[in-house]
Amino acid sequence: MGRARFLWLLLPIAGLAELIAFAHDAHRAPRIAEWQALRGEIAKLKGPTDLLVVAPEWSEPLARQAFGDALMPIADVARADVSAYARAIEVDELGASAHELEGWTVYESHASGRFQIRVRENPTPARVLYSFVDHAHLPFLDVMDGANVCPFTAHAVVSTGGLHGHLAFPRERFNCGGEEFFVGVTILDDQEYRPRRCLWAHPRGTGTLRLVYKNVLIGREIHGYAGLSYFLLRDGTHGPITLTTRIAGQEVESYVHHDEWGWHGFDIDTARFSGQTADVEFDVHSSDPSDRQFCFYADTR
Amino acid sequence: MTESRKLDRLDYLLCVALWLGYVALLLSTVKDLGYARDEGFYFQAARSYEGWFELLHKDFSAALEPGTVDRYWSANHEHPAFMKSLFALSHRYLFESVRVFREQGTAYRFPGMAVSALGVVVTYAWGRRELGRLAGLVAALSLAFMPRVFYHSHLACFDTPVMTMLLITTYAYARSLEAGLGWAIATGVLYGLLLDTKHNAWLLPGAFVLHFVLTRGAHAVRELRAGRVAVPSAFFAMALISPLVFYVGWPWIWHDTARRIADYVAFHLGHEYYNMEFLGRTYWKPPMPRLYAWVMTLGTVPGITLALFGVGLVTTALCLFRVWQQRHDANTEPEKRAPLHAQASTPLLWLLCLLMCYAPWWSDNTPIFGGTKHWITAYPFLCLFAGRGFAFASSRIAELVPKEKWALLAPPALACSVLLGPLCMMLHSHPWGLSFYTPLVGGAPGAANLGLNRTFWGYTTGAEQGFINAHAPQHANVYVHDTALQSWDILREDRRIRDDLHGTLSIAGSSLALYHHEPHMRRVEYQVWVDYGHDAPADVGTFDGVPVVWLYAR
Repeated sequence: MGRARFLWLLLPIAGLAELIAFAHDAHRAPRIAEWQALRGEIAKLKGPTDLLVVAPEWSEPLARQAFGDALMPIADVARADVSAYARAIEVDELGASAHELEGWTVYESHASGRFQIRVRENPTPARVLYSFVDHAHLPFLDVMDGANVCPFTAHAVVSTGGLHGHLAFPRERFNCGGEEFFVGVTILDDQEYRPRRCLWAHPRGTGTLRLVYKNVLIGREIHGYAGLSYFLLRDGTHGPITLTTRIAGQEVESYVHHDEWGWHGFDIDTARFSGQTADVEFDVHSSDPSDRQFCFYADTR
Repeated sequence: MTESRKLDRLDYLLCVALWLGYVALLLSTVKDLGYARDEGFYFQAARSYEGWFELLHKDFSAALEPGTVDRYWSANHEHPAFMKSLFALSHRYLFESVRVFREQGTAYRFPGMAVSALGVVVTYAWGRRELGRLAGLVAALSLAFMPRVFYHSHLACFDTPVMTMLLITTYAYARSLEAGLGWAIATGVLYGLLLDTKHNAWLLPGAFVLHFVLTRGAHAVRELRAGRVAVPSAFFAMALISPLVFYVGWPWIWHDTARRIADYVAFHLGHEYYNMEFLGRTYWKPPMPRLYAWVMTLGTVPGITLALFGVGLVTTALCLFRVWQQRHDANTEPEKRAPLHAQASTPLLWLLCLLMCYAPWWSDNTPIFGGTKHWITAYPFLCLFAGRGFAFASSRIAELVPKEKWALLAPPALACSVLLGPLCMMLHSHPWGLSFYTPLVGGAPGAANLGLNRTFWGYTTGAEQGFINAHAPQHANVYVHDTALQSWDILREDRRIRDDLHGTLSIAGSSLALYHHEPHMRRVEYQVWVDYGHDAPADVGTFDGVPVVWLYAR
């Protein structure tokens, strides 16, 4: 046996080593007070159009509490993607970094307490000309359910589905009759259950819901995403939904969305209309009449 | 293999001390722990059963009317009634009659604590008999100090009770193989109570039969050929007494028995699929990850306990191999060949029970709906093997300095080194038991990085009660999210939550909204954002810097 018999001493050593590792793990993540202490510095760094991102993603609630929604507004936190941001402030803990910002140039990086703060620049930021989600109200948008005009209200009763129910039905919406038949901005959960701010457009039955945006500045493409609440409709048992886009009355593309895809991107080539100001129509339709809780994001760029 | 030792007076004193100590620890920490979702449903059922017990006391024959029985016992009839009846009786006598507990929630929880502590005691007793006093103590405390066992032992639920009942039944069965009819009858009664505790009981006879075949099968066949039946009397007791105990203990099945039992079985065999985050992905339909139970065991049971378990398992396997070799060695005289059951019966029984508890997790069709609590029944056996590993290792360490006096200190020193870490982890994990992970996965931050479930059951409302009481407007509605309204009501009735605050399942009418984090429920958080108009929590409850529950203010 020789020296091998001393290997049994590894057991008490392992027990004590685990205790030390446990104590280390318990204290290695920053606490809320440390996040709060960072607020002033972040507020100085962040410009009005900058994106503030934290890594790892699970620490974000602490950041939102510490920094407040002035620095982390819903529109940023529930962004469609990061392509339109030119600059981002990244706050990292535990050596993590934000996957979304991979490929962005690190303009500045420094440690602050137990955080690493990086200022990053997007090498190819997209210039958004018109956001359809941000203009989902009068006088920019008209909504028609078949031949019926859906009136706009800024004072609807907010309805939320709770634990097992539908997404939030917002205060500002174009009511098409019946609670879920409306057009308005809400937030869905994507295939990773992350937030995505989008325009709810639930067609009634097998009819067509038409959204008409007036005087839209057209760019080289319409960049968009579509989805439904992934939790509610991820089993993909329903029929697909078609989003047809027209510019100045001319059909440019139809995008067909399947529920189980989650938050799914699409790009529509609009180069032939680039530079023009024209009406843009979105028709939402499905041959499946039930639970077509379609929600989409789109901009011209 | 070692010969079983009888317990002496000191052992009985240690048993009492273990029970009292663990119950005292549970009671002293219970106030910090919010009521879990399922507890709310069991409180409601226990209240209903309590009403029936009162009626039984006042008007015996009226209480036994089929319609009356159904009215009181239909509550939560997807689970049998043993523990819920104890919850009801505890509430009746330890809260309503004699105010032993100031909070009715604690009165409901007390039977779960008492039975869980009994599991620690029986682990000690069995470990003591098979492995020696210190090894038995290491086994028992390793079980008691597991953070998840500690968490579940607080609750008015069935998970640690079924762990205990399964262990006690197995212990009685093992004793029945050595001793007379008393232990066999006890096995029958205990198995009936186990059936009345939770459906984990269903697979246990399979483990017993397999154990019998492996250790005594050949002998039984020889006896059968000679016209004698050599089946353990415990089997007859389990066949005759257990169904009777099960039936008597669950009034819901007194009428329409066959259909109701069939419904009960069908409910659990066809259990719906819940959502569970595992390694960054939320599983909600088959195939479920087959690694789930194993990775979660590695990530939540202290590593040193697992290391001792590994040593115990290997040394047991080596011993069994030597016994097998000896039995098949042609040079060994037949009369000198020890019967297999005398050598290997108990460790083989532990091993089979342990594998039986994990068996459902070999199937990728087994729904995950509660994490570690579903194989918690395996942990006493795991700890008994850990005790075995401890006994072996401490003897080897003592042999390093055989003639030194301080060699006597080696076993207690080893015991301290393998128990100190688990003790610290257990104490630190409270009241965030379901968020606790061991250093093997990097603790709570490491588990969050890996995408392991952070919490479920909505019990962490208890961690926010101070903030809610301090900041909620008068008569406010509080959206309770994953906390059952019944659990919220008990928090209020126990004055842990202000009396003027109402729990609600509607975000729209609320002033404060709780959110207990599980990825698939984030949709609910977004509903709050839309309704409240902002995304900044007013308070975030964290465990080791990892957000677990947060609260929004309108």
